[in-house]
Amino acid sequence: MANQPVIEAAGLCKHYGEVEALRGLDLQVPAGSICGFLGRNGAGKTTALKVLLGMARPTSGAARVFGLPAQDQAASVEIRRRTGFVSDEKDLYDYMTVAEMIRFTAPFFPRWRADLETRYLRRFELPPDRRVKALSRGMRTKLALLLALCRGAELLILDEPTSGLDPAMTEEVLQALVAHAAGEEMTVFFSSHQIAEIEQIADRVVIIDRGRTVVSGGLDDLKDRFRRVQLVFDREAPDATFRAPGVARVRRKGRVLSVLSSAGAQDILDEAHGLNPVSVDVAPVTLKEIFLETIAVEE
Amino acid sequence: MLWYKSWLETRWRFVIGLVLLVFSAMSTVFTYPEVLRLISAAPAPDLGGALGRRVTETLSLARDFRGYVWSQWFRQNLLQMWGIFAVLLGTGGLVSQASGGGAIFTLSLPASRSRLLGVRAATALAELLVLALVPPLLLPLLSAGIGQSYAVGDALVHGACLFVAGTMFFSFTFFLSTVFADVWRPALIVLCLATVLGLFDLILHDVLPFSVVRLMSGESYFRTGGLPWVGLLASVAVSAGALYAASRNIARRDF
Repeated sequence: MANQPVIEAAGLCKHYGEVEALRGLDLQVPAGSICGFLGRNGAGKTTALKVLLGMARPTSGAARVFGLPAQDQAASVEIRRRTGFVSDEKDLYDYMTVAEMIRFTAPFFPRWRADLETRYLRRFELPPDRRVKALSRGMRTKLALLLALCRGAELLILDEPTSGLDPAMTEEVLQALVAHAAGEEMTVFFSSHQIAEIEQIADRVVIIDRGRTVVSGGLDDLKDRFRRVQLVFDREAPDATFRAPGVARVRRKGRVLSVLSSAGAQDILDEAHGLNPVSVDVAPVTLKEIFLETIAVEE
Repeated sequence: MLWYKSWLETRWRFVIGLVLLVFSAMSTVFTYPEVLRLISAAPAPDLGGALGRRVTETLSLARDFRGYVWSQWFRQNLLQMWGIFAVLLGTGGLVSQASGGGAIFTLSLPASRSRLLGVRAATALAELLVLALVPPLLLPLLSAGIGQSYAVGDALVHGACLFVAGTMFFSFTFFLSTVFADVWRPALIVLCLATVLGLFDLILHDVLPFSVVRLMSGESYFRTGGLPWVGLLASVAVSAGALYAASRNIARRDF
């Protein structure tokens, strides 16, 4: 069960007229993981999440959640029954109070957790009698999170859960998420363009750019696999092409040739010796570097 | 709970409509003695043209309480005001909420789109039924206050005709609300359409074989005692078609 994907998508495409929001997205999110979905604004994150929840239909490709086809209307109802969702806009019903929002939402979910409802109402200091439209952005986020966490869901899908929050509120929300996910043994799939957030709480990451998956894997594994090999020459760096597997990016600047590899450094080092560099340096890379380099390839 | 949500979203339109229509029924009944006095004092005019014939007929009908209530209220005030609220209750919903907020949360719930739409339509139709039946059913009570009588059966039949035929305007607005993302265009389009149909009925009353205004006012029942079954069934079919089209539109839409 631990390695069985809760979310799977293959070759997912979504066009809105001329706009290609998704261009062959592949996803695999194993059960029990906290997976960060990283991409620039407009990379297709929100569209992908909407496809997973049956709010948008893919133009081509397929997505499955809990093994159910997301594009099938009846199956998507079952997917949503087992999934907690917080949208980017945190759009709730302005005309309802906090208590009414909870009373409205709870009956849809047979496994609604009244104990968590009480706990999070207290922890988030949400005023039950206040109307949603009178809540601050942070309070709305907390209410949206409460409504998602109390569903007794097996999967939590969060679209930019901390957008618009101040650092203290962001930290509070992230801590609540991690504690909840650990306590309830659930899968969390959350989109963000904040790399620090993903590094803080995720154990897996999917990086997308322009509607396509560019990097996917365990965070520790990625950090192990990705290496930057820097070659310094006593002359202008040669315009070399590397045949080694996993070359993600080659940059040439003056006497320096920099190679980013997604498959360790050894094969590149073997090739690089043939170029006669005066020095070779292998360095680990951060998630930020991986993100910036992999999306830069597309430029 | 979807019923509760739909009620919260439409309740003010419904309550305002109910208050206005009840007030309209009261004013229609309680002004009758004065209307009767004025008509009795004035000579019967002989006016030409479609509008003139309508005025002459209205004055003639007003000499009788049943005729006055039908020509003044069921054919004009109630029909127009109820029609406006049918349009207002048909606007809004998922598509306009998608741009204004709330739709994504609704769509994240484990409820099919057809259920979301069905509950919204059923709530509004129930409210429209109340708006079509309650004010007319007050007529027999109010009439006693001025020494007149009005049959409960007449009130029920006219209210039912108004609801069944007038639901076409609601359904068409409801359908357009799944096409346009704002609440004003569907309402304006249907109100313009209703105005055109009303003018056609006024000008071409004797020529037109079918008129939604005549159906809504229950004219054939008033004049002959017979119900316009074919027209009512056709109205139901048109409304059902528009609601079905709305559900198909929502089902295939991306949010």
